[in-house]
Amino acid sequence: MRAGVFAVVAFVAVVLDVTVAPEIAIWGARPDFAVLALVYGSLVLGGRAATIAGFSMGLLIDTGNPEYLGLNALALAVVGYATGGVWDHLVRTNVLVQCVVIFGATMLHDFIYYLIYYRNHLDFFADSMLSQGVVGAAYTAAFGLVIFAVARLSGWRAIADGSQG
Amino acid sequence: MLALLARVFRENRELSTFVVCAVTSFVFMALTPSAKDVLSNALGTPLRPFKELRATRVRIKDVEEEVALLRALAVRLTDDKRTLMEYKHENDRLRELMGFLVSFPEEEHLELVPARVVGLPGVRAIETIEIAAGTNDSISIDKAVVVPEGLVGKVVRVLKNLAYVEPVGTAASEVSVTIERSRVRGVVRARYGGPSGLLSRWIDYVPARSDVRLGDLVVTSGLGGVYPPGLAVGRVSSVTEDPVTMSVGIELAVDFSTIEQVFVVTRTHATAPGLSDDERRLLGEIERAREAGEID
Repeated sequence: MRAGVFAVVAFVAVVLDVTVAPEIAIWGARPDFAVLALVYGSLVLGGRAATIAGFSMGLLIDTGNPEYLGLNALALAVVGYATGGVWDHLVRTNVLVQCVVIFGATMLHDFIYYLIYYRNHLDFFADSMLSQGVVGAAYTAAFGLVIFAVARLSGWRAIADGSQG
Repeated sequence: MLALLARVFRENRELSTFVVCAVTSFVFMALTPSAKDVLSNALGTPLRPFKELRATRVRIKDVEEEVALLRALAVRLTDDKRTLMEYKHENDRLRELMGFLVSFPEEEHLELVPARVVGLPGVRAIETIEIAAGTNDSISIDKAVVVPEGLVGKVVRVLKNLAYVEPVGTAASEVSVTIERSRVRGVVRARYGGPSGLLSRWIDYVPARSDVRLGDLVVTSGLGGVYPPGLAVGRVSSVTEDPVTMSVGIELAVDFSTIEQVFVVTRTHATAPGLSDDERRLLGEIERAREAGEID
């Protein structure tokens, strides 16, 4: 049941990434809804589900840029696997921890993505990481605050109470 | 070694899943461009409607920006057009005035002062015309006022930079005129009343059986000394025979409600103005020098 809900949430996140994120970009940096869904997916369902979801979401996003098919899939699979493993060592109910994990996950995604995308132009890689990666990660982490607040108000214990369910 | 790896994967399902996903990702990245296109088309089907929605949204935004730009441009062009039309009207008017000045009889030697019309007060008809010229422009009372179409009236009051003109054909106005073709004389006057109660203009004191026809041009006679002779006043619009006199209606040549610029006749000369002593002396020296062969 929860896996089905997560699949729907993951698809909605990809749709938001494709349609809404470009509209609300700040200085060219967009919030990464896919990473956001993955972080909370890994928190609720664990690393394995998050890895599969990350791979699938990435593949779906890559259809928009066929030349780099598999790049987002790899980056999001890494994010899913990494966040799934990291939750076991952190206090999940702390909103600050959640924001830091989201920030780190977004940076990790951008790092992998830009590193392969600009593999022959490392100056562009560094520039993109500094100009878009950091701002985008902070922007995405800010959405984490919103999700935490909504979870607390709605009584979603898996996110706001720290129980893995 | 393989057995060890297999055991690790079996025991760590998360790691094995990740490795499978990562390897598959690399396989996708290693595909040929055509294979990537085929796969992207197949896998991207669920997202296509949303992408199209976004593309439509972007197009609409572009169109809205373009419409806003075009609207601003249209406003600017309309403004420019209005300004150009204003210039055109002014140009036409100035050309007309220029033609009027050139065509004026040279032997009359009229000195004209141009003035802009600034007011047309009146109740049932225009009774006064205010012009932006006065004593500072050498204008005085009883000077004739004309436009290219013909006579407007005469100055009746003058301030420093403003003058009031009594138009021909108003209640207080009387203008001595001549039928240009037959040289029959009369006086143009206004009459209020009648069935319509409106103002009408007539030529009075025309003897019975005079040679007056509909459409005859009526010009100033020059009698009285206010108006120079030969200025168009209007055309005969009706002729009625009475036992002693003729009732001759006149349609004025000038439509007072549309005039914007007038000329005040400040001086008239029967002959060309004479030369001053200095000018005569200068002309004499030039003539002597020409005879001596000093100049061509």
